[in-house]
Amino acid sequence: MPGFDMAMKRVYAWYQNEILDRPPIRFQAHNAFLEAAKEDISKLSKQEKKAWWFEVETQVELFEKSIEGHHFHGETFPVFWPNLGPEVYAAFYGAELEFGEVTSWSVPLVRDWDEVENLKLDMGNQYFKKIEALTRYALERCPGKFLVGYTDLHPGLDCTAAWRDPLQLCLDMIDNPEGVERLADIAIADFQTIYDHFDAMLKAENQLSVSWMGIPSFGRMHIPSCDISAMISPEFFRRFGLPILQREVKTMTHNIFHVDGKGVASHLDVILRVPEIHAVQWVQGVGDDYPIMQWLAFIKRLQGRGMPVVVDLSKEDLNEFMEVMDPKGLFLWVATNNEEEEIEILKRVEKWN
Amino acid sequence: MAQYLETISKSVIEGDMTSVSEGVQAALEAGIDAGEILQAGLIPAMGEVGRLFEEGEYYVPEMLVAARAMKAGLERIRPLLMHSNVKPAGKVVVGTVKGDLHDIGKNLVAMMLEGAGFEIKDLGTDVSPEKFVAALKENSVDLVGLSALLTTTMPMIKSTILAITESGLRERVKIIVGGAPLTQGYAEEIGADGYAPDASRAVSLAKQLIG
Repeated sequence: MPGFDMAMKRVYAWYQNEILDRPPIRFQAHNAFLEAAKEDISKLSKQEKKAWWFEVETQVELFEKSIEGHHFHGETFPVFWPNLGPEVYAAFYGAELEFGEVTSWSVPLVRDWDEVENLKLDMGNQYFKKIEALTRYALERCPGKFLVGYTDLHPGLDCTAAWRDPLQLCLDMIDNPEGVERLADIAIADFQTIYDHFDAMLKAENQLSVSWMGIPSFGRMHIPSCDISAMISPEFFRRFGLPILQREVKTMTHNIFHVDGKGVASHLDVILRVPEIHAVQWVQGVGDDYPIMQWLAFIKRLQGRGMPVVVDLSKEDLNEFMEVMDPKGLFLWVATNNEEEEIEILKRVEKWN
Repeated sequence: MAQYLETISKSVIEGDMTSVSEGVQAALEAGIDAGEILQAGLIPAMGEVGRLFEEGEYYVPEMLVAARAMKAGLERIRPLLMHSNVKPAGKVVVGTVKGDLHDIGKNLVAMMLEGAGFEIKDLGTDVSPEKFVAALKENSVDLVGLSALLTTTMPMIKSTILAITESGLRERVKIIVGGAPLTQGYAEEIGADGYAPDASRAVSLAKQLIG
């Protein structure tokens, strides 16, 4: 990738809340790979959909096809990351996943509290093995073409929610708070082991540390999150979410917290007190929460705290955004699929100060 | 009488299922009519829970325990209500549209509507337009609630409304929609009767449309 060294320098400056010649920019939309695959699996049965997600060669080769002949600009890194959906961490302990077209859902695993004792990480289970196989095959195919990342890992309270069912977990927080703490403890206990396992696979092939966000690190990059916190009070987040988050981020060199909408953002004061959180990714969401322009004050507050932020904005909003915002600490995501447009945007952003 | 109803109401707001059940029993023994317990005790309490949720004082766990407590009270009086003149506020069919397995928002809406005195038929998740139409044909339904969480499944809301229209049932029912990617503008564009950003406001909307 031409300009790789400079791109990484910009990323590293951003991690330090500094800016070199311009803020880093990624041009690829989230899930662009899946969009690019353009394979209609909507008519497939549940079993057939799962089989499609499990086809190692298909998944990696569809990605290769999607980047074929494509020139990557700015800080857009071609990254394949093995994906079986955001609840795959829960599946490593035996939860079953049901697959749709663009994501999967877990079937609650812990129906009774007695079942908590049976929860054990199974590195031989079908989902763990499949993530390994996807990683291995991608590593074989990637040289000179793309980077390989690790899967979307959601330990902690989100995993607990997947095991219990989110609404049931909300009831548990009132009915059996000690049980929730016990379950959340199991949902974080093996995180380092799992992370290290995939990190070692990637590092053995001289890969960077990167995942679905496409922002690499030479060290250990992780994307902590707690989507279920959008449903709970600050008091409950401090009790159930925060202690787990503090353990999750401990051994990483770069933690980019994924703030999935305003519900999660309501806990940001507490989250940002965790010193190992190096940056946040702000996802304003869709529907009434879109577009980015209504969140400028929120982003400015983060900048004011010296917190690097990933912001996702449309190319139509870019000029107005640049007029009112200071570029320091921002990592822009601007989705395009037009190379000329990307070059033109880069030129515009270079003049931003 | 007011004291019994106040106790029931307070217990629902606090999510104390046992106290609600005992309070309802005590109210019945004191000769208070089941309809009165529902209309002046349980339903207003859930209205207050909705207000607390909208104002950010309650979150989903508090709302859920309140709804569960309300249901415990409702179970006590349900057999008596069947013999009284109390009618549900309306009959509602809810479901998450085809291709979408998310159910949190839809379940919260169903619970809050039930708490407001509506009769609910929950079709679950991944519900095809044909299933919605069949449910409308089988039941005398006043309102349909359609939910989608994904931008990729949002168009299925439109398809479902279209299927209801083509079945000739559209004039008989009101349709409300909700879910993260939806907006009031989109609801209007696809011909829904209303959009609610959360469960509490879905109740206000339902009351406004069929009240």
